Amino acid sequence: MLVQRLRDRDESAMTLFYDKYATALYGVILRIVKREEIAEDVLQESLVKIWNSFQSYDADKGRLFTWVLNVSRNLAIDKIRSRQYRVGSRTQPLEESAALRQAATPTFRPEHIGLQEMTNKLNPEQKQIIDLLYFGGFTQSEVAEELNLPLGTVKTRARAAIKVLAKLIR
Amino acid sequence: MNTQEYIESGILEEYALGVLDEAQCAAVERYAAEHPEVRQELTFIQQGLEAYAEAHTQTPPAGMRERVLSGWQAAIRETPAAAPVLAAAAPEAVVRSIASAAAPEEAAESRFNWMMAASVALLVLSAAANLILYNRWQQSETQLVAIQADQSRVATTMQAVEKRLDTRTQELAVLRNEQFSALELAGTPAAPEAKARIFYNKATKAVYVDVRNLPTLPEGKQYQLWALDKGKPVDAGMLATTTTAGDSLQQMKDIASAEAFAMTIEPAGGSENPTLSTMTVLGKF
Repeated sequence: MLVQRLRDRDESAMTLFYDKYATALYGVILRIVKREEIAEDVLQESLVKIWNSFQSYDADKGRLFTWVLNVSRNLAIDKIRSRQYRVGSRTQPLEESAALRQAATPTFRPEHIGLQEMTNKLNPEQKQIIDLLYFGGFTQSEVAEELNLPLGTVKTRARAAIKVLAKLIR
Repeated sequence: MNTQEYIESGILEEYALGVLDEAQCAAVERYAAEHPEVRQELTFIQQGLEAYAEAHTQTPPAGMRERVLSGWQAAIRETPAAAPVLAAAAPEAVVRSIASAAAPEEAAESRFNWMMAASVALLVLSAAANLILYNRWQQSETQLVAIQADQSRVATTMQAVEKRLDTRTQELAVLRNEQFSALELAGTPAAPEAKARIFYNKATKAVYVDVRNLPTLPEGKQYQLWALDKGKPVDAGMLATTTTAGDSLQQMKDIASAEAFAMTIEPAGGSENPTLSTMTVLGKF
């Protein structure tokens, strides 16, 4: 329904889209760029990009939220790579991010699982790797270098972590 | 590799995390499309990551919804707006070139007209560029004046600060110099609250005065410092207004020798002999 209206370039559908997904996208973007005013800019750029490239979204290949998450995440990561940004924040502990201080509020998913709950299911090593890969825009080899671990260990931990998250859904 | 092995290989997790290259992604998508159980597994994985992302939901700043949505609208309106302008310009050029090709005998005139049009266009462009450059130049000029004013103000301030620093450095030198002996001048019964200090260097004969507190002077009067040498008063100079206010040390006239110093109130400019009734402070070695 929403997908069809977006495909038909119905501008009012974007308001619905916003109400459904924007706070979650904003949270992810903020987690990556760490500054509110930049996060807001990136969110807006994401909406523009989602609107302009909506025809490239293929519902058969994946879920809408996954697709828009990746659009926003990539823009946010481009942002932090485009600025000198990276030098300073690369070694900053992830725990300092504002995202962990604020309680999450459920939005569109009835079976919403809180951050605390998810974090409890992941062990700290798995969480660190997921955060670097998913929110830091690091490649697996960069993570290996950053954490001084063999690439194989990084891969194993990343897979295990995602398996834990996927299990929570079932 | 059967589907179970494929699922367990971890490639789906890597796909969801976005760490695979394009070819690998395409391969995963093909395989998932062919195998429903792989597709199912991938959906679970993506939902897991979605939930993880969603768990980071943040309360957005006030007014963000309106700002972002109107910003988005402005951005998507901007792009198509540029297109019609280009579209409108194109047909015109086409019509003219066809006309000139259809009538060869008119070609020379047409070419002349074209050149005229081109020169006019260039002239207009050049005038516009001149106007823009003139405006920029004017702006730079204004900025330059403002900056120069700023700069001279800073220089003046700097000079004043340097002068003050100089004074303070000299004062500090006097205070730290062991050759100077300090002499407290206490208030006389006429002015019991009055207090001042003399720094006297017997070797160089230099005298400095440091006012702690002196009564306010009547109009047209000034404090005068006297040295008492063998009972005889010797003029040691007039105190400047700033010195009287206790602002800084003041160097007075050199005094060859003295057993005491005193201050009296005298008409501005000083007197030859002290008016003893107005003696304010006095101190003996």
